[in-house]
Amino acid sequence: MTNITILIIGALLSISILYLVRRGKMHGPYATWWLLVAVCAIVLSIFPQIIDWAAAQVGITYPPTLLLVLSVSLILVRMLTMDMALTQKERKIRRLTQKMAILEESQKNRLEP
Amino acid sequence: MKTLIVIPAFNEAENLTKLLPLLIDAVSYDIVVVNDASFDGTAEVVTGLGLQCLTLPLQLGAWGATQTGIRYAQRMNYDLVITMDADGQHLPREVEKLMDLYVNSQADVVIGTFPSRLSRLKKLAWNFFKLLTHIKIEDLTSGFRLYDKRAIKVLSSRQASMLDYQDVGVLLLLLGAGLTIKEVPVKMHDRSDGKSRVFSSWLVVLKYMVQTTTLCIANIGKRTAK
Repeated sequence: MTNITILIIGALLSISILYLVRRGKMHGPYATWWLLVAVCAIVLSIFPQIIDWAAAQVGITYPPTLLLVLSVSLILVRMLTMDMALTQKERKIRRLTQKMAILEESQKNRLEP
Repeated sequence: MKTLIVIPAFNEAENLTKLLPLLIDAVSYDIVVVNDASFDGTAEVVTGLGLQCLTLPLQLGAWGATQTGIRYAQRMNYDLVITMDADGQHLPREVEKLMDLYVNSQADVVIGTFPSRLSRLKKLAWNFFKLLTHIKIEDLTSGFRLYDKRAIKVLSSRQASMLDYQDVGVLLLLLGAGLTIKEVPVKMHDRSDGKSRVFSSWLVVLKYMVQTTTLCIANIGKRTAK
């Protein structure tokens, strides 16, 4: 039952991503990341043994722990990269704002000598 | 030497009406006011006096505005930038003191300090930051500063755009670039409108302390020349 739920979630997620890309509301790297998440959900719901196998390989006796730890870590990584991207955007906005003020002034000077 | 005075201003029409005529009389340098998205007629006051006014379409805060002036100076090929507060705290006749020290020393940056303006609490905060960073400068937040061409280059950089205040972060960047900073005591006026921007409320102070502490800790181990 759980498998079917996860399969449905994965499928809905993929459809939503494709829809958002189609409407131009999500682009490039973001879409790739989310599609990857959806694909993982689908694959794991069809072959849940993957988790058991992987847990055994790294010596985890209770496999769901591996799944939870991995997902939380990935969410944290994603959030960190989001804040890095935001900082980058902030920097661009600040420099653009400054440049605009400078260019506007020199434009004015050129118009009225 | 081509010198530009940069005055960042947010809603300072009243104070600038008093300050700018005095400044025009006191010095022969070019003056530019950076209007940080004010809505009180700051730009009109400045242009009314025949001075340059750079108007930011979005509010960037004091350092963002100051950096606009510094980038303008770099673009227009100025040799020196002097930054001053718009609120009348820095006296036009003290500008020459910065200039004198710059001419007589090998410093790249000259800071006009007024140590007695510091309250006990501020001194405690400054000492804490100095402990973290090994900056050997008395007044960390004074906005009354002179920057030479090398400092202008450093402060125009993309890296400097991510700073939020013209204080520890700016100093660390300058020291990291191997520039020398000197201080000169100057007279300052009590703020005409009363309050310090940085130390205006406890929440703002807390935010400032946390952000600056993070910045200091993140810079531990970076080269800090004297």
